[in-house]
Amino acid sequence: MLFPTLAFGVFFLFVYFTAWSLDRENGRRKLFLLLASWFFYAQWDWRFVGLLILSAVLNWGVGALIARQPGARKAWLVGLGVAVNLLILGFFKYYGFFIEQAGELLMRFGWERDLPLLQVVLPVGISFFTFQGISYVVDVHRGKTPPAKSLLDVMLLMSFFPHLVAGPIVRASDLLPQFDRTPRLTREMATHGLLLIVWGLFKKTVIASEISVNLVDPVFFDPSAYGAVDIAAAVYGYAVQIYCDFSAYSDMAIGIAALLGYSFPRNFDQPYRASSMQSFWRRWHISLSSWLRDYLYVPLGGGRKGLVSSCINVFITMVLGGLWHGAAWTFLAWGALHGGVQVIERLGRAAFGDRKVIPTVVGVLVTFHIVCLGWILFRAESFDMAMAMLQGLGRIGPVVMLTPLLLMLIVGGLAMHWLPPRAIEGVAERLKTAPSITLGLLIGAAFLLIEAVRPEGVAPFIYFQF
Amino acid sequence: MTDDTTGKDGETPATPLEPFPVHRPESPFPPLYESLPPPPEDPPSDWIETADAHDLPTRDNALTALGRFAFPPAPPLDDEGVAARDRRWTSRTILMTAAFLMVFNAVSPLNWARQQPPGWIPGTVEQLSEVWVAQLAVFGVDMPRQGLREMWMAARQARFIGQAPEPTTP
Repeated sequence: MLFPTLAFGVFFLFVYFTAWSLDRENGRRKLFLLLASWFFYAQWDWRFVGLLILSAVLNWGVGALIARQPGARKAWLVGLGVAVNLLILGFFKYYGFFIEQAGELLMRFGWERDLPLLQVVLPVGISFFTFQGISYVVDVHRGKTPPAKSLLDVMLLMSFFPHLVAGPIVRASDLLPQFDRTPRLTREMATHGLLLIVWGLFKKTVIASEISVNLVDPVFFDPSAYGAVDIAAAVYGYAVQIYCDFSAYSDMAIGIAALLGYSFPRNFDQPYRASSMQSFWRRWHISLSSWLRDYLYVPLGGGRKGLVSSCINVFITMVLGGLWHGAAWTFLAWGALHGGVQVIERLGRAAFGDRKVIPTVVGVLVTFHIVCLGWILFRAESFDMAMAMLQGLGRIGPVVMLTPLLLMLIVGGLAMHWLPPRAIEGVAERLKTAPSITLGLLIGAAFLLIEAVRPEGVAPFIYFQF
Repeated sequence: MTDDTTGKDGETPATPLEPFPVHRPESPFPPLYESLPPPPEDPPSDWIETADAHDLPTRDNALTALGRFAFPPAPPLDDEGVAARDRRWTSRTILMTAAFLMVFNAVSPLNWARQQPPGWIPGTVEQLSEVWVAQLAVFGVDMPRQGLREMWMAARQARFIGQAPEPTTP
């Protein structure tokens, strides 16, 4: 059940009115939201609801044990909790990849074996809910968040449908305190939430879908059939597509949660405005980058042991961040590219200090093009295809795929990064005083506009596969 | 530039952590109401002890005064009341949006039903939608959507000067 569908619209209306009708009994309200979340998840594959429950029970149990144990055992328990989460993630996401690589390695040495290949179906959103589980266990261990008051809270934390399948990764310290009492819905939250849903719907169904179907997919499928202009357009188009796709999901998730009275953290902050790779990672998928910081970079040692150590740590963190996105060498290479550029930036800062060596405009352009180079690796199914895309950038040929409309969408998708940073909040602030009829008609007209121009059908969000 | 500041516990750094976000991403929403700052204090009272309220001049005309006497204003809402009012306002907004779309975007349930595998629910939705769409078309309410779609399709067909037209599929 995808957000931009009629089925989800009907589901959400039911959840919204039922949840607010239970506002006098917070326990029942949470139970209802949990059941609704399981129903939502079961639309992909009902068998994995069991995995979701198992994962929540394990994390709740480990959290409760950590809170009751003395110091030495806590470390052992937190290690166990993290290991179990990683085991679940590893089995479903990386088993096939590692077995395949092991088989190829053995074959090279002449020790060909029939390794137990399994067709493991990847549960949607597993990377997100296991990372949430890890953060819960580690935060309880570090004392950053108290253990949840009930199993229901942990289950809802991990299963809450707005963030369940593609984030943002909402941590226990953000959400558990909000579960303590029936939330309060203000006009500001509601208006902002509605605008985020409309804006997300526009980005996903108009910009991302149009660019994907009519430009990116055909060109990445057979780069050899297109000239440099089409290939460059497809690369820039993919940069816009992935931003509009993923940030749209985050916007809609934040908006839907807001209408139910819960506040999620921001996940994107105009990433293509970044003038360095470091800045890019402070603006792109913020909930993941801050997760990697707190639960990977810091435990590795962070920057506490000097420049070399910090460079190694950031490189390892980014490579593993790449692997988080998918079990493929191209994702590892993508992570290594981002890590490598950050190491260079770090060395540059060590050499030149905080002096501004490169003008901001040049920094933005260079960073954007490095990010685009990374997107080729990210989107291509193999290194051969990535190389074919790069080679095609030097091929002269007629413009076949790029049209004025697609060019306008690409330029518009990039230009939206130069809107005022909190534009939607500003509009919401003005609209919150409007009568409900006026706002309802405005939102309806916006939906109608989007519905009229969107392509038929909705492609799944890119980050569902992660 | 390093990020080797450590927190009080000596384990977790208090700041930076390049290259990642320096701060936790803030919520786009206002703080929860229990953490809101206290409301501003009332302005100093202008109450005059010696004056009789009936002697004070008033700008209200007689009709307004009578109206206020007949229909006294409701007491100010408490927190619960404000929350309930905001919820009702949001619910009305959502219902208005849904009603608007039911009229002007009636073709959407029809399209949905046609994309589903055959069954009782899609069949029923399709039949109801067909009747609803036909009835609304009598008043021309499907024209805004149709007009927008035609404009978009024309923009999609447009090509650069000298560019070959989109190949047509047989």
